[in-house]
Amino acid sequence: MIPDFVLCCILNTAVVVLISPLFVSLVKKVKAWTQGRQGPPVFQTYYTLAKLLKKETIYSSQASWVSRVAPFACMAAILTASLFVPLVYVTEPYGGIGNIILFLYLLVVARFFMALLGLDAGSAFGGMGSSREMSVSAVIEPTTIIVFAALAFVFKTLNIFDMVGAAVSAGTLKTPILILLAISLFIILIVETSRIPVDNPETHLELTMIHEGMILEQSGKNLALMELSAAIKQTLLMALLINLIVPWGIATTLSAAAILAAAIFFIVKGSILALIIGLFESSMAKMRFFRLPGLFMMAFFFSTLIIIIEVFA
Amino acid sequence: MIELLFFLILVLFVLGTAVPLIGAGKDRRDIRVLSLACTAAASALLAILGLTLLLTGTMLAVTVWQAFPGIEISFFIDRLAAFFLLLIGTVAACTAVYATGYVEHMEGGNRRNLLCGGMGLFVLAMTLVVASHTTFSFLFFWELMAAVSFVLVMYEYKDAGTTKAGIYYFVMTQLSTLFVMLGIIALFVLTGSFAMAPLHITPETAPLATAAFLALFFGFAIKAGIIPFHKWLFFAHPASPSPVSALMSAVMLKVAVYGLLRFLLDIFSPDLWWGVLILVFGIASAVLGVIYAFKDHDIKGLLAYSSIENIGIIFTGIGLYVIFSCEGLALLATISLLAALFHSLNHALFKALLFLTAGSVVHATGTRDIEKMGGLAKKMPSTSVLFFTGAIAIAALPPLNGFASELLLYIAFFQSVAVVDPLLKILLFICLALFALTSALSAACFVKAFSSVFLAQPRSDAARDAHEVSLPMLAGPAVLAAACIILGVFACQIFIAAGYVIPFPDLLLVSLLLLFMAGLTYLVLYFTASRETRVSETWGCGTKSQPAITEYTGHGFSEPIVTIFASVYRTKKSSTKTYSDTSDCLFAGGTAEIRLVAFFEEYLYRPLGRAAMKGASVVARMQNGCLDTYLLYVFIAVIGVIVFLGVAA
Repeated sequence: MIPDFVLCCILNTAVVVLISPLFVSLVKKVKAWTQGRQGPPVFQTYYTLAKLLKKETIYSSQASWVSRVAPFACMAAILTASLFVPLVYVTEPYGGIGNIILFLYLLVVARFFMALLGLDAGSAFGGMGSSREMSVSAVIEPTTIIVFAALAFVFKTLNIFDMVGAAVSAGTLKTPILILLAISLFIILIVETSRIPVDNPETHLELTMIHEGMILEQSGKNLALMELSAAIKQTLLMALLINLIVPWGIATTLSAAAILAAAIFFIVKGSILALIIGLFESSMAKMRFFRLPGLFMMAFFFSTLIIIIEVFA
Repeated sequence: MIELLFFLILVLFVLGTAVPLIGAGKDRRDIRVLSLACTAAASALLAILGLTLLLTGTMLAVTVWQAFPGIEISFFIDRLAAFFLLLIGTVAACTAVYATGYVEHMEGGNRRNLLCGGMGLFVLAMTLVVASHTTFSFLFFWELMAAVSFVLVMYEYKDAGTTKAGIYYFVMTQLSTLFVMLGIIALFVLTGSFAMAPLHITPETAPLATAAFLALFFGFAIKAGIIPFHKWLFFAHPASPSPVSALMSAVMLKVAVYGLLRFLLDIFSPDLWWGVLILVFGIASAVLGVIYAFKDHDIKGLLAYSSIENIGIIFTGIGLYVIFSCEGLALLATISLLAALFHSLNHALFKALLFLTAGSVVHATGTRDIEKMGGLAKKMPSTSVLFFTGAIAIAALPPLNGFASELLLYIAFFQSVAVVDPLLKILLFICLALFALTSALSAACFVKAFSSVFLAQPRSDAARDAHEVSLPMLAGPAVLAAACIILGVFACQIFIAAGYVIPFPDLLLVSLLLLFMAGLTYLVLYFTASRETRVSETWGCGTKSQPAITEYTGHGFSEPIVTIFASVYRTKKSSTKTYSDTSDCLFAGGTAEIRLVAFFEEYLYRPLGRAAMKGASVVARMQNGCLDTYLLYVFIAVIGVIVFLGVAA
């Protein structure tokens, strides 16, 4: 069982690192199409990362040890979090891996380091990004926790592996609750990946500056790490949504054919979700920063509704 | 054997207190070091004693002095008391080590000697409160603890701020003692003894038992700084010397938690609504505490508010324990109680760590205002790493200890599905959401605290000239930081060793994975990426140089949250403008101000204070110093007694 699980983890990490940049480019491509542009090639993010790795790393003269440590800490936290969400293969969890609260808090670790990184260089851009990121995350956190509590409620477990396992064996969309869950999870996905209407990942202009503002001072391999970890985080949240709501095709037995099929299934489902994200983003305008809590309240009420339905049903 | 150890500890504490008196009037360093060494040794032994009793499960009972039958000073240490003794000992030992370096920088000649002695007595008093066997000695040492801490708070007695803090602290701490005393008297009336024995409640005695619980609860809540009784905390912690703030915040508040737990577990058999009461007070303190902490720009004030938050979390755990045990959910009750206890220990460790390192920073820069700091990570690298460890621990990030205890609470909340009553379930979900808000805000709060103090450029000359502190001032906090890491990483193993079988993730595995992933990333980059690095100026939109004033400061950082939670802060924005022409076009000057209303002070304390003053003035009018009036009083009294006796007969 343990070797099985280790293999599962290695598979997960490998797949998530390899696929994530693809989804980032796909969303960009979709947005470009809706705007009548051709857009970057679908493998552009891979080229960008390769190029960044070749460049020298520049540190600000004001930067302290935080700037040297934070990109690695971010990446390590996100990669560890990637072990918690089964992508293509689901097995018995081990040693608390897959615990949904631990997963969320690993994402918070990454965010904590990123926020410090933004402030370390002493630039006003980074500071503004960090300040907004922490504010948004503070306001979205109750919603996220309630959504995950609702998940735990519906699946009767705290473990993501068990949830996905239950979803696979139960088929899908048996109850309307899952639709409500899907909406809430989608809003969390949008917020956590800093997309319109919360933030615009394309620019670091003053108006939208949250995520991009924080990493403005990064360069070379550090920037590559930050970009890749953001991409992986996005894929993880997408995978959570996909594998709980439409869990078709996930491998439950360990065979090369099943894994390969599951990987292809996942890429297809992920691409469809990327298309939806792109279209959603294109159909919206950036919200004023202080209007955001309203959006979060929406997700909050959906998840509270789920819980109330579950409690009184 | 173990009794001897206990007496040795008491003797060492007394020595630590008495030694400075020999050197009274003289400013002698060796005496201070000797005194603090006694305190540190006693505290370390105390921690060992606590740990031994906790591990072996043996109990210790000693009677020291019996004044009358029933009124005696006697000690009894069971596992609960041993746990809190471990907490007191660990923190006090590290604080005493730190203080050997810190007191030398304090002002005020032989007051420094008294500070050292006072710290010894303070720790001794807290130890004896926890070890008390009877409610009588509990109250006795409780008052000793209050009195000594008041003296310690007043160290910088010449400052206006300290005087205000002293008054607030004195009033609140005496109120606390008053309530505890009322509770204990009520218990005495119910049982006729001062023993801490389970109370048999019959329908006739139930109202008095409830009243006793309420009195004790308010007494402990005031001491623990639960909102709305938190006001003294925010004044007293910043005003006192840093080792004293560390002891007060990390340990004294926990003694109040101990008191509540002791009475709840040993004496009362609680009702469901008691649990709800504790939970509601707890969660309100947690949320409001962190919201107030977020906007504070006095580093020690921020830490003081964050203590309110953490005490709120502990009370939340206790409240959940009572609720779950009333509902008959034994496993969840155990998890909640464990969360409350474990968070008490964790908070003691990281809050002491943060207060001590904050003390180093305040010493190095000469200010408590975080807006005048900045860039200290380069000047004080070791202190910055220590503070950082504390910040991750308090922000509840895995795999440190703060996360471990909050995770326990989350598990309890998430699994409260099994609670039968739907209304209760909804209350629990509201509390869960607020609890999540609390931990997210505390992460934001400590990003602000750490970055404003340690990152970017220095924003004042004092911060520019700051220097690393001496070895003892690093050694004490370093032990605490190590404890924070160990208690987090090995949390799962510790619970198993303590005999608790609960569904808890293996944080050791997670930490190893984190290290492995970081190492892997490093290796991959080492072989694939360019290794060239360069140091250059921060990009400033093309400006030649960036003055420190253009950085993001603590105020700027907290602005979005202050705006979002404006209704909680009761923010009042006002501006005045003057123009130099008649049609209001040319702006001449003006002022703008954002004022945060101190809600509880404005709407609770001031009116209460005014009412008390009014009452006092009525009494004062009766005390007019004129003999005739007093004779009249005596006359009326005599008539009254005669009439009363007549009616009674």
